[in-house]
Amino acid sequence: MTPELHRVIYCSRGDIARDPSRARGELQRILAISRKNNAAAGLSGALIFASGNFAQVLEGPRAALEARFERIQGDPRHRDIKVLEFTAVTAREFPDWSMAFAGDLTADQQDPLAFVVFAGAYAHRASGSSAAVLGLLHGLVQREDIWSFA
Amino acid sequence: MNPFPTPRSERPACLAASSRQGLGRLVAVAGGMKRRAGRIAAAPVEEVLEALGEGALLLDPGRGLARANDAAGRLLGWPGKPPRRGTGLAALLRRAARLDAAQRRRILACAAALQGAADAAECEAGGLILRFRRLASGQTLIVLAATAGDEQAPRDPLTGLANRRAFHTSLTAALARPGASPVLLLLDLDRFKHINDSLGHPVGDALLRLVAERLRGRLRAEDLLARIGGDEFAILLEHADGVAGLAERLVELLGRPYLVEGHLANIGVSIGIALAPTDAGDPETLLRRADLALYEAKAEGRRGFRFFRPDMDIRAQARRTLETDLRRAVALDQFTLHYQPQLDLASGRLVGFEALLRWAHPTRGMVSPGEFVPLAEEIGLIIPIGAWVLREACREALRWPEDITIAVNVSPLQFEDGPGLIRAVQGALAASGLPGCRLEIEITEGVLLHDRKETLETLHRLRAMGVHIAMDDFGTGYSSLSQLRSFPFDKIKIDRSFATQIEAEGGSGKALVRAITAIGASLGMTVTVEGVETDVQARFVDDSGGHQIQGYLVSRPIPPEFIRALLARHNPHPGGPPHAGGQPHTGELGKKSSLQDNLGSRA
Ligand SMILES: Cc1cc2nc3c(=O)[nH]c(=O)nc-3n(C[C@H](O)[C@H](O)[C@H](O)COP(=O)(O)O)c2cc1C
Repeated sequence: MTPELHRVIYCSRGDIARDPSRARGELQRILAISRKNNAAAGLSGALIFASGNFAQVLEGPRAALEARFERIQGDPRHRDIKVLEFTAVTAREFPDWSMAFAGDLTADQQDPLAFVVFAGAYAHRASGSSAAVLGLLHGLVQREDIWSFA
Repeated sequence: MNPFPTPRSERPACLAASSRQGLGRLVAVAGGMKRRAGRIAAAPVEEVLEALGEGALLLDPGRGLARANDAAGRLLGWPGKPPRRGTGLAALLRRAARLDAAQRRRILACAAALQGAADAAECEAGGLILRFRRLASGQTLIVLAATAGDEQAPRDPLTGLANRRAFHTSLTAALARPGASPVLLLLDLDRFKHINDSLGHPVGDALLRLVAERLRGRLRAEDLLARIGGDEFAILLEHADGVAGLAERLVELLGRPYLVEGHLANIGVSIGIALAPTDAGDPETLLRRADLALYEAKAEGRRGFRFFRPDMDIRAQARRTLETDLRRAVALDQFTLHYQPQLDLASGRLVGFEALLRWAHPTRGMVSPGEFVPLAEEIGLIIPIGAWVLREACREALRWPEDITIAVNVSPLQFEDGPGLIRAVQGALAASGLPGCRLEIEITEGVLLHDRKETLETLHRLRAMGVHIAMDDFGTGYSSLSQLRSFPFDKIKIDRSFATQIEAEGGSGKALVRAITAIGASLGMTVTVEGVETDVQARFVDDSGGHQIQGYLVSRPIPPEFIRALLARHNPHPGGPPHAGGQPHTGELGKKSSLQDNLGSRA
């Protein structure tokens, strides 16, 4: 068990291109830098982009996590950042992923599950929402085997 | 051999957009690369730089920063972690909190000299001597040393920013430049004190460093940033272009969440802005006017910014006069209490009075609390005034029949010091000899918004002394109903605005009074409607199941000397519990005549 292992879960509203192919490019850039930085700093986690919103789980040594979050929160590609949970943990949720990703680039149709989770998160129900976001991400990341051939 | 074999998940991310089974359109695509352990060992050049003892920066030709030692960080004062590799000299200097725009320019000019023939240069700026040397490798080494007397450099040690004194010097200089039109922004953090108190100073200090970094990151090189007080920052811009946009961004930026020392912190910032030379040409006036604008920004709900306007000066003048008068009033005992009766509808008897503060101003006559209580709260005078009200009201109530209660309003500020409030109540009861059960404390919904745990504890301790607790102005605040469930209030007082709406055409007053009454009654609370002025309203309250009314229909607030007469008229047979004695409840307002009597007492 890493000393001072912490986890943050937050959601935010994306400020990225509406056009799917440009949005894809922006997301790819975010993921590329995330994977590089997170791997170097001993951080792991998962990111979701759905119906225009982000939700992210980021975990690792406290100081590195806080420093990285300070960079992320100032990123102009999202706003209305709401931290659902920030807490010490005994184990990582996504030990194998510097940043797993799940995304929905066609915002014309909302994924019902993600929609419910985000609506809950922004309706001041932080405690229940962090568990819901975590569940959502777990469900998606475990299916990575299916998707990764793409 | 590749020390980092590529795991499966490191293949280039591919964002699929097609619909899949499982979670609808949510598509998980490539995961991140596996984490890598281990760090690259420090290069020998770093050891050399550290051993140097002086500040040193090593720049790659055309590629910015290669190395910086810790001493350089201390001397230049960058808030937070050092700049990254590759940061250009201009950007590096921009992050150096100790330098102002002119000093940065001087250093850059010195560096430019090196581009020519010279392979060494030297300059002095901001209490530092910088020696530039071009190395054979093409790299540039900058050695920094503090000039003599730098010990009292006007820095804020916590953030590395300029301190108040340094800021003042720069402000004076900026205003002295002919044709200059600088802009001053004063920033004050909202809720910082709360974080500092509840999470401790080390967390507060770390938070201030993050704030300094966020600010520095959003400003241009030529903007001066300073920490001028505990949680106060100041910014000096060279001109007013885009200042509103900047202020808006800063408010948004500082309002984002912070993860600090293992804690989540949410704070905000309010900003006051003054422009030179329009608003003022000298530093003192400019600072004062920015401060007035800041005050207004705070007063208008925080997390915002305001530009100075001349009418703020006029209002501030009036406020200062009132403040002086108010301090004198406390010293000279210029306060009195008036009392407004509360009528029990079932018995038609008076059951209590609410004490209302009046200020007999020597030249303005009677001043109502609405005009001076907010100021008294702001300058802390509400604490002694509140304690006086408790003492005086209890003393007066002791002269009344034993079945008459006295209600006293307590400000949210008094609740901030729970033990102090309890002492004040105990003192008032002990000094007067009034039993606790005849005293009723009225709180507003605002009381329950902050530090709920401590507030509830105070309320329970008051209750343990027999004191009754009433929720005042009910229905005007936030989340009213949930508040009712948070504490077993003895009474709720429905705000006067609802009484007025009872007779309003199509108004929602009726439905609200009925609903609140039903809820209050179901929770076992006495329901009082305030501001009742007509028989129709009184009858409606009665029909809805409300218990008591207060308002001009019964009587306006009266000085203590009229209380006996009023009681004699309403409660002709002294004693007896209100619900048992008095006229029988006819449901048709059998006490009509007594209500009309009361109208007579409207002076
Ligand atoms: C929703 C979102 C999530 C992000 N997550 C990460 C992350 O996990 N790790 C990371 O290094 N950067 C992340 N970024 C990017 C950072 O905001 C920032 O651009 C990047 O860390 C800058 O890296 P630098 O410090 O090397 O300049 C994220 C950005 C967004 C919009």
